[in-house]
Amino acid sequence: MKSRFLLLAASLLSIGLVQAGELDSLFKSLLKNKLAPPAQPSESAQPAGSAEKPLGHLFKALTTGNTSLEEEVSIGQQIAGNLLGAAPLVRDDGLQRYVNRVGRWVSLQTERPDLAWHFGVIESDDLNAFAAPGGYIFLTKGLYLKLKTEAELAGVLGHEIGHVLRQHHLKLLQKSHGVAALGGFLSRKVKNQGELVQNLIGNGAEVVARGLDKGAEYEADRIGVVLSARAGYDAYALPAVLAEIGHVAKADKSVSLLFKTHPHPEDRLGQLSEAVGDKLDALPEGKSGAGRLYRLR
Amino acid sequence: MKLTFSALLLCAMVAAPAWAASGTMIKDDDLRLGATAGAASVGRVSKGASVEVLARQGGWTQVRHAGATGWVRILSVKTSAENTGGNVLGALQLGTARRDPSRVVAVAGVRGLNEEELRSARFNANELTRLDQYASSRADAEQFARGAGLRAIDVAYIEPASRVQEGASNSRPWGEESSF
Repeated sequence: MKSRFLLLAASLLSIGLVQAGELDSLFKSLLKNKLAPPAQPSESAQPAGSAEKPLGHLFKALTTGNTSLEEEVSIGQQIAGNLLGAAPLVRDDGLQRYVNRVGRWVSLQTERPDLAWHFGVIESDDLNAFAAPGGYIFLTKGLYLKLKTEAELAGVLGHEIGHVLRQHHLKLLQKSHGVAALGGFLSRKVKNQGELVQNLIGNGAEVVARGLDKGAEYEADRIGVVLSARAGYDAYALPAVLAEIGHVAKADKSVSLLFKTHPHPEDRLGQLSEAVGDKLDALPEGKSGAGRLYRLR
Repeated sequence: MKLTFSALLLCAMVAAPAWAASGTMIKDDDLRLGATAGAASVGRVSKGASVEVLARQGGWTQVRHAGATGWVRILSVKTSAENTGGNVLGALQLGTARRDPSRVVAVAGVRGLNEEELRSARFNANELTRLDQYASSRADAEQFARGAGLRAIDVAYIEPASRVQEGASNSRPWGEESSF
């Protein structure tokens, strides 16, 4: 009986679903004694209103999984700002506006249509795309240049939107960095919300360089296909991008980070194929938008 | 020099007609007479079988295998790397959306984005402000979609094929799963 319980607990932990119930009581007692520093509005951009929340509340929220929307956005902003520090936006207003329109249209087909979604193409020849909590989505110029249709762009953005919807990175952070944040908090190194958030996300934008578990990637692929279809696009455009990327040599530097953090495209296609089965048989043919894809200046 | 390259590329594209793609089945599937699930089956193609990819229609692709021609679901096939189109869909799209020679990325000055760069990245408030300026509102996105002739439809989320594949064990992504 006991061993069965342990097994259950272990398996739950391994899939990251436990919302730290035991830690919660530990935090309660710790916070009771420790909660003193007043909340300081951070230097780094924070959503209005979040500054008045007690630091302890944010801290507890971040580490126990009960993150409010404001807190989620604030974490995403910090990660997005850091990522942009490593690779700035491509200087092409037309491109950035276009990608935001396609992405925003796809995001309207989700259960979080009113999130402040942001999309950007960043300066890098790598093939990659990133999502940060709260609706921040980026793809590299290298990947954008590989795309042949607007539907392919929608599919790639749909995959990243899927990560945001299911809060994959937020859960990863809560699981892995809660302890580090706790350390900083207790040693009084953390002075304000921005620092606390940075503590939680680790160094710079390293969180986007860390792989999610394969199940999360497969889930995002399924969501990307469905969202493309909902938006009126060719549902099979994302698989086409995956197949294309799958043909890039594994040794090619442009895919080294992507292949390190994601299952190989061939495995992703196989998973998608099994999951989709006959479920999309009745789907009307979507638009490819082949001639609509914005060409870089 | 540039002209020669363009001419060469053009020749390569002309010499590789869209229908010449070869592919491999990634799961067992019925070979059907038409591009619908209701079309009569004229045989079965097994996972791993080599096929010739002929055409695409919606979620279906026409293939030839062992002398028989028929339609299978598009996600049942992957094209071989040697194909210029890159994949079933890419190959089939060649006719309408050829790769644009002007989009060949210059090799010089390749800019990557590795773990070290990400780890040492510093917050850039200016870029974040710039990002904000490009954001599209609901009304803007809806207007864009109307202009593109896009109409939203209802499609349910898709669950994983089997619960075992999600989460805990990922040692066998899909290879040994039996098809169903």
